[in-house]
Parts: sequence; C-alpha cells; structure tokens
Amino acid sequence: MLRAVVVALGCVLTLVAPGSARAQVGEFDTTHTVFYEAPTRTHMFVYSPSGDVTASPWSWLDVRGGWEADVVSGASVSTKAGGVYQASHAADVVSTASVRDLRNMARGEATVKGDLTSLTAGYAYSTENDYRSNSLHVNARTDALQHNTQFELSYAHNFDGVCNRVQDGSATSPTLWVALEDSSGCFTKSATRVTDTIGIDTIETSWGQSWTPIFETQLTYTAQLVDGFQSDPYRSVILGEGIKAQEHVPDERAREALTARMAVYLRALRAAFRLSVRGYYDTWAIRSGTVEAELEKSFGESFRLMARGRLYSQTGAVFWSDDYTGGAPPLGPRGQYFTGDRELSPFWSWLGGLRAIWTLRPAEGRFIGFIESFKLGLSGSVTGFSYSQYTLGGIPVSNARAYVGTLSFNVVF
Amino acid sequence: MERKTKRLGIGSAAACLLLASGCATVAPTQRAVLADPTMQFDGEAKHDAALRHAIDNREGSMGGTGVSGGGCGCN
Repeated sequence: MLRAVVVALGCVLTLVAPGSARAQVGEFDTTHTVFYEAPTRTHMFVYSPSGDVTASPWSWLDVRGGWEADVVSGASVSTKAGGVYQASHAADVVSTASVRDLRNMARGEATVKGDLTSLTAGYAYSTENDYRSNSLHVNARTDALQHNTQFELSYAHNFDGVCNRVQDGSATSPTLWVALEDSSGCFTKSATRVTDTIGIDTIETSWGQSWTPIFETQLTYTAQLVDGFQSDPYRSVILGEGIKAQEHVPDERAREALTARMAVYLRALRAAFRLSVRGYYDTWAIRSGTVEAELEKSFGESFRLMARGRLYSQTGAVFWSDDYTGGAPPLGPRGQYFTGDRELSPFWSWLGGLRAIWTLRPAEGRFIGFIESFKLGLSGSVTGFSYSQYTLGGIPVSNARAYVGTLSFNVVF
Repeated sequence: MERKTKRLGIGSAAACLLLASGCATVAPTQRAVLADPTMQFDGEAKHDAALRHAIDNREGSMGGTGVSGGGCGCN
C-alpha cells in the first residue's frame, strides 16, 4: 500500500517538477495539526500530518494526490455507568482503557475544467488498527450569470469496515454481547474477530450567490445515509445489576443539514466578516444548531489575521440515557438501544481561535526561477464542552476542553 | 402534513431567492473585493481540515463542509 502511495506521489511530482515540458502549474501543501483534550478520567493526544501535491499539466486538468495520518495516544471510557448505579456500589464501576492507533489515508482526485464548469472524481483509502475505509466521491460545479451564481453538487460513497468481536453463539440478545478487548487479530483470519460493514452515502448541493460587489451568500444542503455497525466496539454500558454489554445503537441513520453562509466586506476595516448558521436533524432525533462567525483582516498585501468564534448546541439521541439502570427521568432504560457515547448526549460547546496567513510573492518573475509563491499558516483554537446529562458514574465532566494547533505550508510552482 | 407544508414553504422561499438572484448582477470589473482571499468561504480549507475533522468527531452532527473524506479517526 505504502509503495503504491509513493509511486502515485512520484508520478504527480514528476508532472510538477521544474523543467517538465508539460507542467504549467503545480502546488504542494503540508499541514501539521496537534489536538489535545484531557477531561475527567481520559485524555487524548492526536498528531495529524498531511501532504498534498497538485499538478495542472494542461489548463483543463488538475490532478491531486495526498496522504494524511492521525497518530493517536490517550485513554477513553471503556465501561460507562451513571450515578444511580454508582451510588449503590462501593467500588468504582467506570473504567478506562488506553488507546494507541495510527490512521493512514491516501487520496487522489482529478478535476476536468471548462470555462464555467468543472467535474471532479476522487478516491481515498484509509486504514486504522480497527477500521478500513474506501471512499469514492464525485463533484460537479458550474458558474452562471457572469460568475455571480455558482451551483455545486457532490456525492460520496464509503465502503467501510470496522473490526468487532465474534460473539458467543448463545448470546442472542445484544444485552449479552461483550465489547471488543483490543484490536489484535483485526482484519486477519482470526476466529475471534469479524469485520462489520458500514455503507455511507453523502450528497451535498450548494448555491453560491454574489449579490453586490461586497456581499455574497451560500446555501448548502447535506444529506447522509449511514447503514451498518455504528457503535464503539470497545465500549460497554452497564444495564443493570451485573449486566454489562457492548454499546448497541441502530444500524441505520439518516442525517440532514442546511447551512447558510454570508460574507460581507467592511471597507473601513479592510476586513471581511463571515457568518455561518447550520441546522441539523437526524433519525436518532438529534437536533443541533451551529453559529460560526469569522472576522478576517488583511495587513498589507501579504498578511492576514482571522478571529473565529463558534457556538454549538444539540439535543440527545432518543435512546440516550446517562444511566440505563433507572432513576428519575431523563434517566432509565430507552428501549432496545443503549450507548455511553457523550457525542449522543445533549450538550453545548463553544470555540474560539485565531489564524494567521502569510503569503510571499516576488515583486516580479518567480523565486529561483520557478516558485510563484509561498504561504505559511498558523492557527490555534480552544473549544469547551458543557454536558447537561453525561456523567462518569455520577461525576459531571465539567472540564472537557480541547486545544487544536495547526501549522501549514504551501508552495505554488 | 404539517411537515410537508413546512418543506413546501422552504422550497418556495428558495425558489423565490433563486429567481431574485437573476436580478443581482455584479459586473466583472466590480469583482475585485469578491475575489479577495478574505471573502472566500473555504479559502484555507486544507489548513482548517484537521480542525473540522476534530470538531466533527466531538459532535453528533455533520454537514456543510463537503462530502469527501475517508476513515473514522474517531478516537
């Protein structure tokens, strides 16, 4: 697999290389992101490097190839219980497990461009210790009305597989299923492991409109159908006295989102203000709203600084309960499904961040004969989560904050 | 029934906006500000991709940021 990625990148680099008779424009991007989060009982550190190469051997064709990875280390909740159950037990019933994983993803896509229209098709393959993904996507985009209107339609299908534990033949009810202990034996012929499938269809359509010389909007509708195993195979939930079972959520999930965005240029500040509002609904009864605002200002021709703020709020899934063993509402069992996933609980979150972009272009000609521009990006964000129902054995998780920092570098040939 | 009516209303509003867009003309000579990097909705999409990925994996929602991608990376 690695050899295939290297060969693919080599082919693209050959097209980009200076002196190539065919390459007219090329681009190289690399980004490096660190994510750190340490709420009660768990912590997670993720380093995500990526590299992408784009070549435009002809004016009507762009070819892109890239790779990204997530290097993950930390701990996650492996057994989830609520306060009612914990109160009747002297010993700590919530447990955590260490997590070490490496996700590698190789991707490639090609875009055929016309004066007003472009068509893109691409493929991505990713692998983790316990997850494999093949993703195909296509995109069509067209401009209309003197470039004042843009329509875009995209579709992607994922053929994914997640490793799971082979359950005992006598365990006919999900309440008897046991969580996956670790990823050893995954994607092998091991008799103790099975690969569950997940199919994901995503369609997105958007309409962009320039209304005045300083004001534009974009409206985007996204729909997604997920079919397959969607639980965390490692996580158990306590369902009653002595009953601990692997998390069990529905196999089907239909998701819809509508996003409205606007950008307006504030001449007095020499800055752009962007606002995004998103509404979301799915068949697990999660409803959410997101408001995001960005103010980006140019300092001279080469430096831009952006401040970003974001607020997010969601309801819980219809089968979410912090303690399935009982207690006053909203606690108690929720039909046939059970989860310990805090992302399916009701919560709100905030995010604040800054991003700086520095672009360097020569006054005339090109740097060392073939480099058109350099671009360096640096950003940092802090996000906090406030869970209204999620607890770990009755202890609220009030310190869930995550820090994200990104460094990026781009060079255009 | 109520949901159908609501969807019909949203569809009608979108159609009206689409028709109105035909009246909005920004001449090519007036597009300098619209072409400025600060006016692009996803001008630094690659830089922000990992942040979006991290946010998506901490929330129960999705949408509005494209369809491509692969893998879970949901730790």
